[in-house]
Amino acid sequence: MTLDVTATAVFVGLFLFITWLGFVAARWRKADLNLLHEWGLGGRRFGTVVTWFLLGGDLYTAYTFIAVPALVFGKGAVGFFAVPYTILIYPILYMIFPRLWEIARARGHVTAADFVRDRFDSRLLALAFALTGIVATMPYIALQLVGMEVVISALGFHFGGWTTHLPLIIAFIILAAFTYTSGLRAPALIAIVKDALIFVTVFAALVIIPAELGGYGKIFASVPKEKLILTPPSGESLGSYSAYATLALGSAFALFLYPHAMTGILSSSSGNVIRRNAAFLAAYSLILGLIALLGYMAIAAGVDKDPAYQTGFAEHGPNFAVPALFLASFPSWFVGVGFAAIAIGALVPAAIMSIACANLFTRNLYKEFFRPHCSEADEAQMAKIVSLVVKIGAVVFILAIPQSYAIQLQLLGGIWIIQLLPPILLGLYTRRFNSMALLMGWAVGTGVGTYMAATQSFTSSVYPLEVLGVTLPGYAALYSVVINFLVAFLVAPVFDWMRRTRASAAR
Amino acid sequence: MSKRSAKLLRYWPRLLFLIPFVAMLWVPSYNRVAPELAGIPFFYWYQLAWVLIGAAIAIAVYAIETRITHTARQVDLDPESGGTGDIL
Repeated sequence: MTLDVTATAVFVGLFLFITWLGFVAARWRKADLNLLHEWGLGGRRFGTVVTWFLLGGDLYTAYTFIAVPALVFGKGAVGFFAVPYTILIYPILYMIFPRLWEIARARGHVTAADFVRDRFDSRLLALAFALTGIVATMPYIALQLVGMEVVISALGFHFGGWTTHLPLIIAFIILAAFTYTSGLRAPALIAIVKDALIFVTVFAALVIIPAELGGYGKIFASVPKEKLILTPPSGESLGSYSAYATLALGSAFALFLYPHAMTGILSSSSGNVIRRNAAFLAAYSLILGLIALLGYMAIAAGVDKDPAYQTGFAEHGPNFAVPALFLASFPSWFVGVGFAAIAIGALVPAAIMSIACANLFTRNLYKEFFRPHCSEADEAQMAKIVSLVVKIGAVVFILAIPQSYAIQLQLLGGIWIIQLLPPILLGLYTRRFNSMALLMGWAVGTGVGTYMAATQSFTSSVYPLEVLGVTLPGYAALYSVVINFLVAFLVAPVFDWMRRTRASAAR
Repeated sequence: MSKRSAKLLRYWPRLLFLIPFVAMLWVPSYNRVAPELAGIPFFYWYQLAWVLIGAAIAIAVYAIETRITHTARQVDLDPESGGTGDIL
């Protein structure tokens, strides 16, 4: 493949524009960026519209835009679970997070770990939260790079050796620089451009590509019958039905527990902003569903059989389906727009994720355990430096370690992050639940979930649970968080009793 | 009516959120090809339609709850509503 000059020029031009925007953002809603809640939460002043862009840019990442259609392309109907998943996140957002926002604002919490530290007066639980958050987010940032790498290589950058990675490294240096100076304001502003590009690309794809391929009827007719719908259960197993439902439900509960989602939520200006977004964010779900269908369009267009894209598919597997489809269907300049949309779609969440990790590290590890009396300016400075370290880590991660590890770790990340659900849910309504019981629930849930993924050699998070002779294949995250809840509720009375006897013995 | 049950009653619209959960988790109800819509199998257009229904439910819950909060003066008014910084 040779370098596509027109597409690359458009791509680079758009990239320079958002770089400028990223630095200008520091002066947007001017405030003292040497305070952690200003740098890392935008001063909690984002209204409905900005929050909509920010959360949309945050949750629907480049990796989503590449991986969801890739899954549909490779595995068919199962990949469409992303749609029920995103339908279910909004009721959860509406019911749980406005209350969390109010408590966090009143008590000055910046992270979820701050929240449990304060609600249950437990440093250990906060430590578990901070570590889980950071460990689950790191591979997620690395996967954003995968999304970017796919489109950059699709532009035709193939010089061999380390120079192949040069565009990626430059992009990340830019990202690191504007995140450092502008904090959360940068991705919030860039998210607006990113979404405009994504919307234009998706609508163009939905109009142009089906017309080229002869309509939706023809597209679906070219999809193999066994991929078109889920395989109905047979015999003693609920098969793909329970897998589909639990993947949707488990992913929905896990999503807002991720540090970057929490950062997006806490940066809004009121609980009502969050409630309104629970309705309006559905626009992104619709876009995601339509993007998922691009996987079938790639099948119908036969891009995987086209010799021009052989190297791409050999290198990136099904992840190359959407870039190949764009190359095959769009004029060069519009390929540049579409690829820029995906690459900028990687920068926005990567920035928010690194800020979220930095907030966690600074608040809940550095300040909590090493420098309890550091000044607010020190705290913000530390967070800025950590955000750099996190991004360098992600680049090294993706260049040094096989991509499949990043994907497996991200899969484990979903299982680990959902274990934070019981303390968050209980913390909204009570402060009296025993924190040691919550910690034990977290430990057991994490252990069981990891074990379930290990039995699938970390290639699938669907675990075939057997209940009374019936096999229920389901999302390990959901199964393990149920165990987490059960353990917490069962051991809480024991810990309470121990505490009471100790108190009376001391008297 | 006690203060607590009055407060709980204020949240009745949230029961509507059960609907998308039932619809989406009941996979066998939509795992089929027919009827197609403009060439798109039922499995796909049905779930895409639920994105819109889900959004409509969220808007309805928000609208009803806001109305309840604004009319029921004895229940504490949402202190944050009506701020100018709320929209942008």
